[in-house]
Amino acid sequence: MINSMIIGKYVPGRSLIHRLDPRTKLLMMFFYVFIVFLANNVWTYTLLTLFTLSLLLLSKIPFSFIVKGFKPILWVIVFTLLLHVLMTKEGNMLFQFGWIEIYDKGVQQGFFISLRFLLLIAITTLLTLTTTPIEVTDGMEKLLAPFKRWNMPVHELALMMSISLRFIPTLMEETEKIIKAQAARGVDFSSGPFSERMKAMTSLLIPLFISAFKRAEELAIAMEVRGYRGGEGRTKWRQLTWSYLDTLFMLSLISLSILLWLLRS
Amino acid sequence: MEIAVRVQDVSFQYANQSDYALKNVSFHVRTGEWLTIVGHNGSGKSTIAKLLTGLLQAEKGRIEICGIPLNEETIWKVREQIGIVFQNPDNQFVGTTVQDDVAFGLENRGVPREEMTERINEALKKVNMESFLEHEPHRLSGGQKQRVAIASVIALRPRIIILDEATSMLDPRGKKEVLAVIEQLQKERQITVISITHDLDEVAKADRVIVMNKGMVVEEGTPEQIFAHGEKLEELGLDLPFAVKLSKRLKDAGFPLTGDHLTVEGLVNELWTLYLKM
Repeated sequence: MINSMIIGKYVPGRSLIHRLDPRTKLLMMFFYVFIVFLANNVWTYTLLTLFTLSLLLLSKIPFSFIVKGFKPILWVIVFTLLLHVLMTKEGNMLFQFGWIEIYDKGVQQGFFISLRFLLLIAITTLLTLTTTPIEVTDGMEKLLAPFKRWNMPVHELALMMSISLRFIPTLMEETEKIIKAQAARGVDFSSGPFSERMKAMTSLLIPLFISAFKRAEELAIAMEVRGYRGGEGRTKWRQLTWSYLDTLFMLSLISLSILLWLLRS
Repeated sequence: MEIAVRVQDVSFQYANQSDYALKNVSFHVRTGEWLTIVGHNGSGKSTIAKLLTGLLQAEKGRIEICGIPLNEETIWKVREQIGIVFQNPDNQFVGTTVQDDVAFGLENRGVPREEMTERINEALKKVNMESFLEHEPHRLSGGQKQRVAIASVIALRPRIIILDEATSMLDPRGKKEVLAVIEQLQKERQITVISITHDLDEVAKADRVIVMNKGMVVEEGTPEQIFAHGEKLEELGLDLPFAVKLSKRLKDAGFPLTGDHLTVEGLVNELWTLYLKM
């Protein structure tokens, strides 16, 4: 279950978006979060939506995958929409029923804010759907490299991330094994009052933690024997290559920002 | 003959333990030799692997690896000569995929990228894992993971490989695959092999065997010599290979078998020709 949440998100493919350098995707996502806030009228929102939709289409990922990304945040969107529709008292009144008064500005504002949410989620979902976790790690390491000068442990963070990613399936397997072993000994994980179930969890968590620490120790020894002495003097096998595609996509994002700036009211 | 590893009067005691894990242990390993160290749990055999790579420091005595005396200054130089394959296939897999894992050790040594690709492919070919380049560890069997671990070790071109119970978590097939790869490497590249195990089946492949008990070397010799007094090994809590046991029982029952049989093949060969002699 958790496995499909973290690892299974990536949808393999060879689309333009898949082939982009992870640095490009991370940077685009980062700046997109800001330029979303530039949009404030019908024109700018239309432009932004078209841009986002074309990215989604280029990725060749079935729409249902993106929609899945919306699910956990759907109630937030509905709530924002209702709040704006009901609370904004500006512009012309469209409708009145008892204490409920709906104004056109409210409806517009509600739609814009919800759309903003949807666009942000679509873009971040697109990143995780088209980029493997290890690519994200490599991209982050490269992008954060300048911060090494201020003693930020960039290499160590990236290594920690990649080792965590590598061990998620291993620990998931182990969790399943322990659940089965404890269930065979009569531990009930799924029924009874909340406090009982929490107590049952300790019989899962303690063995899991002990084994994780043991693994960590053995892994550290194995790494040391294979000559690991920290990031200094180390070469990198995984390479990121910046192609004309990446330049093209970055330019398109810059043009989008300029257009949004010009069209906003 | 050149000496790859020389251990002289080494003693070691773990903190908070009254007994010595190793007491005045001395032995040597010749270059290109396969030495097996056997002993049951707690005999001190795994401590030896940790001492040889400087993961633990000996309290007393000298260790020399390929002519380099082991101390704090030479520790990284010594580690360049030695590769270890550990017991648990999962806990020594650092990379997210097979090729990343083999690359890890090379990255640590600062090997240029073009050379890395070459060495990764060569090493994986040696262990017959070249078609699994992009596989994640959870899609591999235990034996396959151990073969990747061997590839990671040989990509670094060590002169000595230590197998620290490397086959004990594998099924019989995985065990066979791993040992076959090591045997081939020893023959082709003159790599010195030190295999630490409690599995006496593995002993048959060795050129020489050391038997450990309670932190001391109790016996040393060729596999034939060691198995000749099998009762002693059984007293130490080690289980003799099936072929050795059967051959001994048959001899006790009066069958005119010649020599000792360490492997099932050897025994079978003698048995099916036996009728002609009788």
